Amino acid sequence: MKQNTRHIDTDLTIIGSGLAGVAASSFALRRNIRTAQAGNTGALAYTTGYFDLLGSLTGGSGASISDPWEGIRRLRESEPLHPLARIAEDDIRASFEEFITFLAECGITYGKPGDRNLDALTPGGTLKKTLSVPATMQAGVDAFARKAQCIIIDFKGLKGFSSRQIVANLKTDWPQLRHERISFPEIDQAEIYPEVLARALEVPANRAKLAEVVKGLATDAEAIGMPAVFGIHAPDRVMADLQDRIGRPIFEIPTMPPSVPGIRLRELFEQVFPQKGLTLIPQQKVVSTDLQANTIQLDLKDNYGPIHISSRAVILATGRFISGGLEAHMERITEPLFGLPVTQPASRDLWYRHQYMDNLGHDVHRAGIEVDEQFRPLDRDGKVVHHGLFGAGILLAHQDWIRGRCGAGIAVATAYKAVQAALSVLQPAAA
Amino acid sequence: MSDTPIKKLNFKELASQLLPEGASFDSCLTCGLCSSGCPASGLENMDPRKFIRMAMLGMDEELSKTPWVWMCTQCKRCQHVCPMDIDIAQLVFAARSNWPKELKPSGIVRSCELTRSTSSTSAMGLPPEDFVFVVQDVLEEVRELQPQFKDMVAPMDKKGAFFFVNQNSREPMSEPDEMVPLWKIFNLVGADWTYSSKGWAAENFCMFSGDEEAWHQVIQQRVDAVNELGCRVWLNTECGHSYYTMWNAINRFGMEADFELANLVTYYARWIREGKLPVNADWNTAGLKFTVQDPCQIVRKAYGDEIAEDMRFVTKSLVGEENFIDMQPNRSANYCCGGGGGFLQAGMTDQRRIYGRRKFDQIAATGARYVLTPCHNCHSQMEDIGDHYGGGYHVVHFWTLICLSLGILGENERAYLGPELAALGL
Repeated sequence: MKQNTRHIDTDLTIIGSGLAGVAASSFALRRNIRTAQAGNTGALAYTTGYFDLLGSLTGGSGASISDPWEGIRRLRESEPLHPLARIAEDDIRASFEEFITFLAECGITYGKPGDRNLDALTPGGTLKKTLSVPATMQAGVDAFARKAQCIIIDFKGLKGFSSRQIVANLKTDWPQLRHERISFPEIDQAEIYPEVLARALEVPANRAKLAEVVKGLATDAEAIGMPAVFGIHAPDRVMADLQDRIGRPIFEIPTMPPSVPGIRLRELFEQVFPQKGLTLIPQQKVVSTDLQANTIQLDLKDNYGPIHISSRAVILATGRFISGGLEAHMERITEPLFGLPVTQPASRDLWYRHQYMDNLGHDVHRAGIEVDEQFRPLDRDGKVVHHGLFGAGILLAHQDWIRGRCGAGIAVATAYKAVQAALSVLQPAAA
Repeated sequence: MSDTPIKKLNFKELASQLLPEGASFDSCLTCGLCSSGCPASGLENMDPRKFIRMAMLGMDEELSKTPWVWMCTQCKRCQHVCPMDIDIAQLVFAARSNWPKELKPSGIVRSCELTRSTSSTSAMGLPPEDFVFVVQDVLEEVRELQPQFKDMVAPMDKKGAFFFVNQNSREPMSEPDEMVPLWKIFNLVGADWTYSSKGWAAENFCMFSGDEEAWHQVIQQRVDAVNELGCRVWLNTECGHSYYTMWNAINRFGMEADFELANLVTYYARWIREGKLPVNADWNTAGLKFTVQDPCQIVRKAYGDEIAEDMRFVTKSLVGEENFIDMQPNRSANYCCGGGGGFLQAGMTDQRRIYGRRKFDQIAATGARYVLTPCHNCHSQMEDIGDHYGGGYHVVHFWTLICLSLGILGENERAYLGPELAALGL
């Protein structure tokens, strides 16, 4: 069968479609950089929707921190190689603001990042320190802060979200909280998923039916919490309409993956990027690369045939083990795409500590690639691998995003720096 | 029902063979994105995640027998959202193959048998001479009754034509007037095209019946027919799975195909961009709203978002940008309507409509009066769920709307238009 190779000639290519990749694309678009992005599904769909900056300092008690900015200042002392410790506070603030502004323009409103972490609710009925939450979740943060009279509702058949459990875990701090379980109108399957409910709520008739049921339950509640199911495509609009019909403030609490807030983000970027002129090659991984003097050549293919990208700059945001940014072999960890050296524990025996929940974390999580001040990957001799190649996200070494509660912070802030640095290569005069 | 038992398959072994390079079931997080995004989840108490987990647990007997494999449309949305790219539809295909013929849904089996009954490869069993006759007959009528098209042609077996055009059997068999708008479009753009008396049909239920050998043979006949006429492009008209069964088979069976595969939507978009199809939305004075259904077989499973973009470009050109409302989700992430995979032919009406509820909600959320889709199975299923759940929308082919916009749509070519467009431009 005859197939034609498609050639894409571009200024910047972002490899990876997790949070770092999509943030980098949003920054590049805002700077009018001709951009392509490739990468398969990624872990974006697993997010709670909360954007953490820094929730905990690793290596200590593991206790959460309320002031992430103070936390980053302390990181500069204790972990100077931590990616967040290497970025100026103004740049981190600017990166979050710009990213959240972009999201709002595209249809998902987030709260403005402030000076302190918020106490956000989890589906387990615990609290999580985070910097910014979607507007659909804000009333829950506020209700907890005021310990308002509140009701949490869950749905029969929806696993991993129990209003009773949430209330049981929070009632000491929040005595005015109670729970209810209802059947979601006209969905009577044994097992239901939040995504299904969220899609159903995109239809006004279905919102009307749900509002009728909820109204009857919540006569004295100041606010009503539900699992995150307020639509996929236009959550702010779905919430506003549902709220009007119910007649009281409502809010979402994230669910266990697969969660609606993550699916929202993924579908939003997949739709918005091409509309804004980005060349998106979704669901495909770059399979081979070639560093040339002034360009980086990338090869991949889709069902239609081979695709060849020639790009002046590349941002590598391929994540860690799940997405294939790093590969674990019996003896060592590698970066498969460019063969970059990976800083890692001296032997496999040192990857994990004995106790899984050890506050010190596990050294394997700190493995990753080295970059210079311009976020350009370094080779074994500490030399820049290519002047047009940049790295961003949790692929970078010297951070434990899991215990630090800093995954979104690293993704967004390093993507911001990488795009700035790429811009200085692409348009020396502009930068 | 016969007493023939269903053999037990080793699903774990099969699944391991089907994994992409470097992937492993050890990395499956059992996250459930597959099931969460699957309209067949819950039918027969089964879903894609459960299917994979049961395979890993060696529950081969249960998997070998579950009728769910006939309710999964093999739309591959589960794989699309899976971070590990696990191809669950292939396992379903293997399970279908394993069912004894007499236990498989008879509608699908019969369609495959009919496809093999003549060299037309028509799932409705329409023989070559009947196809040639219908085309000629309809063409003569149009030339006579629509003087503007008195010189229109519908070439048959023309060697060396650029396009080898296929046709879903439903048109020549049940609604021959629906072929006419397509011919008018070819006529208008001056396309060098031909039908073939052999291998002209689009449908291929042999793939859906899990009969790999029959699937291969049917595609071989079609490939031979194109090679024989020496056409440059096999042009897949508005029928979803015909493209996928052809494209997949050519790769899967390593066939010699000396031509390109293309979809009509790609050419609609090209001809509009080149000015050869001067369509516009001036006719839509009432501001009728339109949405588009992305057939899995030509978007997610084949061309991806590129053709989805072309579909939207064509639609906006036809109805006006402000009158187009996208379904959510859309493009490669769109849901299967529930008409694919042989579901429409399988006789499981209740389950098919439960599956289709997701599509109905998507359409309802757009508030659109019309749904455009270049796929017959999507077309039939969306009409059926619209009737069943009380939607007030109509489903139309692209060719209908293109000719309507150009003011060349004949009186008998409007079966799918609503009353407000039934007489427009006549």
